[in-house]
Amino acid sequence: MIAKAKEFITTIPVNKVSIKDLLSFEKSPRNMLVAVLTVAFIALFVIGVANYLIHSHHAYNVTRQHPWGLLIAVYIFFVVSSTGLCIIGSLGDVFGFKDYELISKRAIFGSIVTILAGFAVIAFEIGHPVTMLIYNVLSPGLTSAIWWMGTLYGIYLTFMIVEFIFLLKGDMKSAKRFGLIGLLVGLAAHSNLGSVFGFLNARPISNGVFYPTYFILTAFITGIYLAYIMMGFRYKLDFSAEVKKMLEGLAKIQGLLISILIFFVAWKMLTDVYGGMPNRAEVAVHIFHSWTFWAEVILAMIIPLFIILRDMGKSPILFFWASLSGMVGVFFMRYNLVHDTQLKPLQMMKIEEYQLPPEWVHYFPSMTEIMISLGGLGLCIAMYYVGTKLFNLDSDH
Amino acid sequence: MARYGMALDYKNCINCKACEVACKEENGVELGAEKHRIWVGSNNPTGIWPNLDITSATFVPSQCQHCEDAPCQEVCPTQATYYDENHVVRVDSDKCILCSYCMNACPYDARYVDDRTMTIDKCTFCSDTRLARGETTTACQNTCPTKVRTFGDLDDYDSEISQLLRTREHFSLKAHLGTNPKLFYLT
Ligand code: SF4
Ligand code: SF4
Repeated sequence: MIAKAKEFITTIPVNKVSIKDLLSFEKSPRNMLVAVLTVAFIALFVIGVANYLIHSHHAYNVTRQHPWGLLIAVYIFFVVSSTGLCIIGSLGDVFGFKDYELISKRAIFGSIVTILAGFAVIAFEIGHPVTMLIYNVLSPGLTSAIWWMGTLYGIYLTFMIVEFIFLLKGDMKSAKRFGLIGLLVGLAAHSNLGSVFGFLNARPISNGVFYPTYFILTAFITGIYLAYIMMGFRYKLDFSAEVKKMLEGLAKIQGLLISILIFFVAWKMLTDVYGGMPNRAEVAVHIFHSWTFWAEVILAMIIPLFIILRDMGKSPILFFWASLSGMVGVFFMRYNLVHDTQLKPLQMMKIEEYQLPPEWVHYFPSMTEIMISLGGLGLCIAMYYVGTKLFNLDSDH
Repeated sequence: MARYGMALDYKNCINCKACEVACKEENGVELGAEKHRIWVGSNNPTGIWPNLDITSATFVPSQCQHCEDAPCQEVCPTQATYYDENHVVRVDSDKCILCSYCMNACPYDARYVDDRTMTIDKCTFCSDTRLARGETTTACQNTCPTKVRTFGDLDDYDSEISQLLRTREHFSLKAHLGTNPKLFYLT
């Protein structure tokens, strides 16, 4: 048994890479910019984490009224990316769409690095990550959406890694099997993450079925943006006919998905406002007045949809840039989700003298939170880069 | 085994905040405005001047409602939040991972982070202190000059709180959320 496992591991095709190989990349201005940013972000991560270890949660701007801050949003951002890439990877590899097979391996690898980056960020937001590992097993809170989300994501990561290994080995049958289970577990984990918010009946703006379903939709959308970004960097925006065909297909799907998303968001916001339900309507109106909401709408929905509709996704280079805008919009989407949930104070009475009753909860991330978040991005890019050197992420044919 | 609750004759509250002080002192609650287990809220009078509704300008003392169906307990991933044998909602600080989910889920803003243990703290009905010493009142009740608070066993037919709830009209906060609070406001 052990010998078999050993053989299984030693036969994984990995390229031998030295530090020199890692440093040898084409020194074009674009590559240099990404490299410098990545190193800078990782440095910020180290500084941020050190600051957190010294000052614990005091280094963050989270409060009693706003206990979840930027790091939760960034964690969601990464795990949504992971689920999205898993969906994209599965198109070819699990569902057998031949055109999309060429991105399977890359997307599945992307889903692994994004979720690892997410875990790296959340480890510094959860106060006691080690206690979590112990008591998640010893006294599982089965009614808790966080328990399900965390546990399912753990299982999902395992399946993704195994699937990726089978893909590297070219064992498509096993890859498909693990890929399918991984995808189902990932989707379950992801909609559970939506239910973390959907279950909050103290927060009428988030409570309900919306988030668990919306999370799946936005994951797919995020996956397509990331597919474009990864392929753009891989082929330096010079796509072969085969890649172009795949990207065009993805852009068309994206057009449909973004349109559905616009319907989702428009009706959610309108039903929130309509009828003036207390604790919901005024929060929605407040959201309409925040620039971050419009950043989300314009960057993640309007700009990319406009570019797709111009020529039905026939200009992949333009859509590469639109995908970058899309990902910035997706970041705001996550930030808004977390912040808007906590906008309305639960305690509406004045409890301290010489003050006015609370109106809205304010929050702006601290430097440490920003540093750790950017660090997550740095880690993600670095892991992906090392992966491109270690493994052959292109399709085999 | 009891089922502890509290009735508040809140219209008698004079906002002296003696209960807030007694709670901090008795239970060693951290200093600082954000770190409080109990609080006294004040309602601004409703209406438009000069037709202000004076009776609406009440003080409303409050704390954890010790919900029978507590959202904080439901969402806790490690069962750090639990109901003890007296139906008091408690936090086991060894198991709390500080995910802050309960802070977001509690509709009453009754939870906060204790910076000494970096875990969640909240009202315990003095379970660790006065009740553990065999006393039958909470610190906030004991100190209240106008006898706003009555703490006791809801399952005991003869307890003072049971009698009050039988004879006085009362309501609970955010009752529509289905949390079944065990804090009752007497009208
Ligand atoms: S008031 Fe809040 S902290 Fe207390 S039991 Fe209810 S939900 Fe939990
Ligand atoms: S912060 Fe602690 S008590 Fe609250 S839900 Fe998380 S683990 Fe449970």
